[in-house]
Amino acid sequence: MTGLRLENVSKVYGADEAGTVALEGVDLTVRDGEFFTLVGPSGCGKTTTLRTIAGFEEPTEGAVRFNEREMAGVPPERRDVGVVFQSYALFPHMNVAENVGYGLQFREPPDGLSVDERVAELLNLVDLEGMGDRSPDQLSGGQQQRVALARALAPAPDLLVLDEPMSALDAQLRESLRRQVKRIQSELEITTVYVTHDQAEALAISDRVAVMNGGRVEQVGRPQEIYREPATRFVAEFVGDNNVFDGEVRSREGEYARVDVDGERFTLPAPDGTDRFTFCVRPGALSQSVERNRLTVSVETSEFLGETVRVNGRWNGGRIVLRLPAVPDRDELTVGFDPDDAHVVDWH
Amino acid sequence: MLYLPVGVVFVNAVFDDGVATLAFFRAVLTDPFYFGVLADVFAEPLAARTHLESLVGWLAAVSISVSLEYPLPGIPLPVPWPSLELPAFRKGLFGFTAYQAALSTIASLALGLPAASVLANYEFRGRRTLRSLTILPFVLPGIMVAVGFYAMFGQAGTLNQLLAVAGLGPYPFIEWNPLAIVIVAHAFYNAPLVARVTVAAWESVDVRTVETARSLGASPRRAFRDVVVPQLLPAVLTGALLTFIFTFMTFPIVLALGGLQLATVEVWIYDRVRQLAYAEAATLAILETVLSLALTYAYLRYESAQSGLAREATAPSRTPLFPDLRTALSPRRLAIIGYGLVTVIVFVGPMASLVVGSVTDGSGFTLRHYAFLLERQLEGADYQTLPWLAIRNSLLFGVATLVVAVPMGVVVSVVTVRAGRGGAIVDTLAMLPLAVSGVVFGIGLLQGLVFGIPLPGGWRFQVTGAVAIVAAHAVAAYPFVTRNVSPLLSNLDPAMVESARALGASRYRALRDVELPLVASGIVAGAAFAFAISIGEFSSTVILASGSEAYTMPVAVERYLGRRSGPAIAMGTVLLGVTAASFVVVDRVGGRFER
Repeated sequence: MTGLRLENVSKVYGADEAGTVALEGVDLTVRDGEFFTLVGPSGCGKTTTLRTIAGFEEPTEGAVRFNEREMAGVPPERRDVGVVFQSYALFPHMNVAENVGYGLQFREPPDGLSVDERVAELLNLVDLEGMGDRSPDQLSGGQQQRVALARALAPAPDLLVLDEPMSALDAQLRESLRRQVKRIQSELEITTVYVTHDQAEALAISDRVAVMNGGRVEQVGRPQEIYREPATRFVAEFVGDNNVFDGEVRSREGEYARVDVDGERFTLPAPDGTDRFTFCVRPGALSQSVERNRLTVSVETSEFLGETVRVNGRWNGGRIVLRLPAVPDRDELTVGFDPDDAHVVDWH
Repeated sequence: MLYLPVGVVFVNAVFDDGVATLAFFRAVLTDPFYFGVLADVFAEPLAARTHLESLVGWLAAVSISVSLEYPLPGIPLPVPWPSLELPAFRKGLFGFTAYQAALSTIASLALGLPAASVLANYEFRGRRTLRSLTILPFVLPGIMVAVGFYAMFGQAGTLNQLLAVAGLGPYPFIEWNPLAIVIVAHAFYNAPLVARVTVAAWESVDVRTVETARSLGASPRRAFRDVVVPQLLPAVLTGALLTFIFTFMTFPIVLALGGLQLATVEVWIYDRVRQLAYAEAATLAILETVLSLALTYAYLRYESAQSGLAREATAPSRTPLFPDLRTALSPRRLAIIGYGLVTVIVFVGPMASLVVGSVTDGSGFTLRHYAFLLERQLEGADYQTLPWLAIRNSLLFGVATLVVAVPMGVVVSVVTVRAGRGGAIVDTLAMLPLAVSGVVFGIGLLQGLVFGIPLPGGWRFQVTGAVAIVAAHAVAAYPFVTRNVSPLLSNLDPAMVESARALGASRYRALRDVELPLVASGIVAGAAFAFAISIGEFSSTVILASGSEAYTMPVAVERYLGRRSGPAIAMGTVLLGVTAASFVVVDRVGGRFER
């Protein structure tokens, strides 16, 4: 598989006029062997996108291409896509080995292996060797999840798609399973599309991430890009803690500009285009030791996180998040930020 | 309350003048009238060779042939026509009972499974209503359904009136093939049961499992076969097994539509009781109960083996049934329409015929039948069956049943749910009255309580027929209360009661403020069921009410039916009205049968 492309894909449910728009002009390219994640709040269209790729939904408009091949009208059973669902969807009337081997009735096991050998290989891969005779209901949630993964991988699909596969598991298990999925993915070099609502998970596991909102793709990029250079206000607020401000340019001095935010003046990198714009400053960039762009924050709550303390406060009526090395001992703190730590996300 | 009467029947069967004997059993088991060809086996169980030889001989006489037939008269279109010839053998009473139960089960599956498929997969107006209507048969009195079928298929029935418009008939459908009519009537009862359990299973099939199978390479048909069918099978078998148990113990329908020439075990027991042959009746009753208990035990074992993992299922999405005209004309939709017509005929036909038949005779609209009821009430002699007395008794017994069965059912629920993991016990307790037929129970109560049980000191423990009837109804009804209350009770999070206590409520206040409101709907639904069961109960009532004034509406219907069908149909319509009213109550509070 050299890659997967979605071209201007739209999906409307229901009658033409009154229908609900689930996807609106989605353009995505997933490269060969890439771990690609769709992240966004519930209802943003990420699961619909995944179901369109797997062939459970046909796009109302646009095209899904595997290796340049248009997939319209190709049913799921002929797409060669391995699917893992949030509910695992293990066949309750089959044991673990039968579950894993199910797809091998329809596709030859790879590398000239027999069905039994392939099943054993896959169970080995997900650390469930010897569990083939168990019934799915004898397994823990994490084990069921791994059976579902082994089942999806058994026929050696071209593409693996996972729909919120971890969300039913507790936090610690989620992290270890996440590492296991990532390890298996890079071992097999299989092109993978992963859906999650957890932005931290998305950043941790992916080669590239698409942030979706309201049926549209807001931004596609490597995790660092998404985190450091959010392209829209939505991405800035959705991915990680952030402080987002609306400002208006008062004067420009070369690369920098004097900007008015709620009556206070800041020095920021000069935005292109119009004078009204939105910028963000990550909590870590706001520091008591920086002497420029000072703002006085009234502290509301502090959360001790171990390495740092997250401080929630207010400034000019708006919410502000800070990361400090220790719990503040005062109700008011004055912090500043370097102009180059501000990132322009949007201008109007 | 349940075990005493059954015990009395048992004692009757094995004691002859105070001496324990198995003579009755021996006589019944070896009588070809009861067990057909098996009687020889019971008579000489060690002569295996002879029995094997006769089995081989029978098998050798089976012939399967294919011949060319011309099914359309006048058209030379040959069709290969397979025919299977089974040599006749004597089934005996038990054999026949099992035979008609098997046929009824097949008919119920044939009628119920398509309904399940439509209800589970298509969205249409009234789907939810239709789904909840599938509990209706549980509250429909058997005798009333029988009369409904009589009103539809009888000589002056609706079907013949419709055929008369086309210049055909009248045909004596019931006389032609009473067995077929009985089987259709059984399907009327049990197909909704089959549909109900199957739809419930279908809705719990995670649609993601089907999608996973598709993504692994299975075609839609293959995915259905590999993934959906195995998950439905337990439910279908449950429905089939329950149908078999119920139709094995069938009574009012066969009595009213078939009479003695179609006698099942139950009908024959009733006849023996009327002939005062108690010992023979008791022996038959015990044999029948053993068989049905064995079946019920098999069912319970099977059901508990099926309890799989609690899954988080994504319910299947339903496609609209008739989105537009073009889809409506596709072969599949046309098949559904055709099936819909059949169900309308089978389910609505008899009920509509009942109402229509009560206000018409051969020539047109008339209130004659109701007038007859009124006249009989006003002028009838004491020994005749008086309509108002029947209605009053029914309502009275219904209320009394309510008063007994509701606390009984709730107590059983509370005890088993509190005991923790009481699911199996609840099931067993709730199923037992279903496994013991009403007739058997009636005999037990008649001989035990009504005739009196001698107590030490020259006293006799004796109750009147009315009390015995209420007892019988309560036993039949309490499982429905339990089945309605238990699920609500076990869903009750103990943390809610603890929260109420922590907030300062006493244990009693917590019960009143938290637990009671949450199970109230189950209690009301159970009560409505109990009332409806009591109104419709026939089997034990007809035995306990014989020769007394404690007859109820269903008994009155049967008595009228023996002489003239018109008044019986009118009485049946009154019964339908009362039953429908209690069903409305059940539906309003979200009544349920399955757990």
